[in-house]
Amino acid sequence: MDGNEVVISITRLSKAFTRERGRLIALDDFGLEVREGEFVCLLGPSGCGKTTVLRIVAGLETRSGGSVKVEGKEVRDAGPDRGMVFQEFALFPWRTVRKNIEFGLEVKHVPETNREDVSRKLIELVGLMGFTDAHPRELSGGMKQRVAIARALANDPKVLLMDEPFGSLDAQTRNLMQKELLRIWSASKKTVLFVTHSVEEAVYLADRIVVMTARPGKVREIIDVPLSRPRDRTSREFITIRSKVLGELEEEFEKARAGELSPG
Amino acid sequence: MRSLTKSLRKAFISNWLRLVLSAASVAVFLTIWWLLSAYLRADWPFRGVTPSPSTADYIPYWWDVLRALGRSFVTHPVNTGGLFMSEHIFASLKRISIAFALALISAVPLGLLMGRSRNAEALGRPLVELFRPIPPLAWVPIFLVVFKFFWGPIAIVFLGIFFPILLNVMLGARSVDPVLIDAARTLGARRGTIFGKVVFPFTTPYLMTGITVGLGIGWMCIVAAEMLGSVGGGVGYYIFAANNTSQYDLMYAGMVVIGILSVLTTGIAGLIERWLYRWMGMK
Repeated sequence: MDGNEVVISITRLSKAFTRERGRLIALDDFGLEVREGEFVCLLGPSGCGKTTVLRIVAGLETRSGGSVKVEGKEVRDAGPDRGMVFQEFALFPWRTVRKNIEFGLEVKHVPETNREDVSRKLIELVGLMGFTDAHPRELSGGMKQRVAIARALANDPKVLLMDEPFGSLDAQTRNLMQKELLRIWSASKKTVLFVTHSVEEAVYLADRIVVMTARPGKVREIIDVPLSRPRDRTSREFITIRSKVLGELEEEFEKARAGELSPG
Repeated sequence: MRSLTKSLRKAFISNWLRLVLSAASVAVFLTIWWLLSAYLRADWPFRGVTPSPSTADYIPYWWDVLRALGRSFVTHPVNTGGLFMSEHIFASLKRISIAFALALISAVPLGLLMGRSRNAEALGRPLVELFRPIPPLAWVPIFLVVFKFFWGPIAIVFLGIFFPILLNVMLGARSVDPVLIDAARTLGARRGTIFGKVVFPFTTPYLMTGITVGLGIGWMCIVAAEMLGSVGGGVGYYIFAANNTSQYDLMYAGMVVIGILSVLTTGIAGLIERWLYRWMGMK
């Protein structure tokens, strides 16, 4: 990965929410660089602000301080250069699979025939042939998330932001979707920033794992995963890395729990 | 296979049962009506009781009402505007349609705006809360003076349809799942596109509820709106005129027509709703 250009550059990022009882500091001095084609996982205890980081990069959330650049340009608003996949799938229930995937192209006023070319290729890529004209309610959770991934890819974004995309799937589907995502990722050559709270998922997917601290969130440690793909979840190397990440994370879990117990 | 035939038969029987129940409720109603009319006239089976002809006038036999209904399509009964019933129906339908169209093109954009923008809601809310509880009929005298006999009744019906649509669209626009708007934004959609491609489709079922409720209230208003006078007749006008000239069978015939028309328009709205949901991929 070395030598590739930096696509996402986050420096001294901070975020404070104003609540009824004062300010809540969600992020403090968070910094990260992601290179082109890289798969980076954000991992941390719940409430550490990992989703907030992703939403700020997506332009869905404002920041209180610091800088977020995508391809050298400061992020100001949401845009089609940053595709996003949500845990809740967020498909438009009144649109068919094809029409969901073509949403971004419609917004850009791409002619119908070109739109169909793109959606046909993507439907093939995510393995949904035969479901082109199905509506979301007819699909299983895993299939819905395939549509959401295809929809995000249709805009040919520079980066793919994924917010616990497999969090609501059952264990079997989840493993399958992780495998599928890696296949799609290697075919599409996107830069991926992926939020999860599952250590195993992070070790299975990522080139690098960013372990975040408990609130206020900042980078605790970045752990490289130098394993070749496909990865074997039961191999000694896999388990060694998993234990290391888990160790880091557990300390933060303890801190998070202590924080919850103490007033304020 | 056996369980399939069994459940099919069960479904058939329960459908049939419901049909029988519905028919029975209408039959009971007509029987009570008949007994009441017969009692007031001391007809069979009440031979021998003292008849009360003055009250009996108000309650004709229901078959006489049906006969009057048939008659009003082919003759001009005295003092009912010199029009066939079909012409009265057309006049009322025209009023409902104009009022409905006006309510739709004003209430939908306003509802979307007030549902999505807090400032727009702050602007509109006080006025809505102030005017909504006022029965449209309270406006009848003023509206007939201000809007005259063509637009006056339409304006009253408009008020009846406007508020249910406005409030339902507002509710729908407010309950759009925020994650859908986030998704649209990350796909490159801006405010205007989000309104057209996310907020409006999401709101459609709410709009249909508003339309169904609004049409019902619209029919309630039209009778009263036409009573004080209207250009070119109308079923409400017909009821009022028949009542004034003590032709109670014709009056009831007009009431039956209103009921049927209301059921028909609500039914059409329901059909459009079902078709729309299927088209939009909702159940």
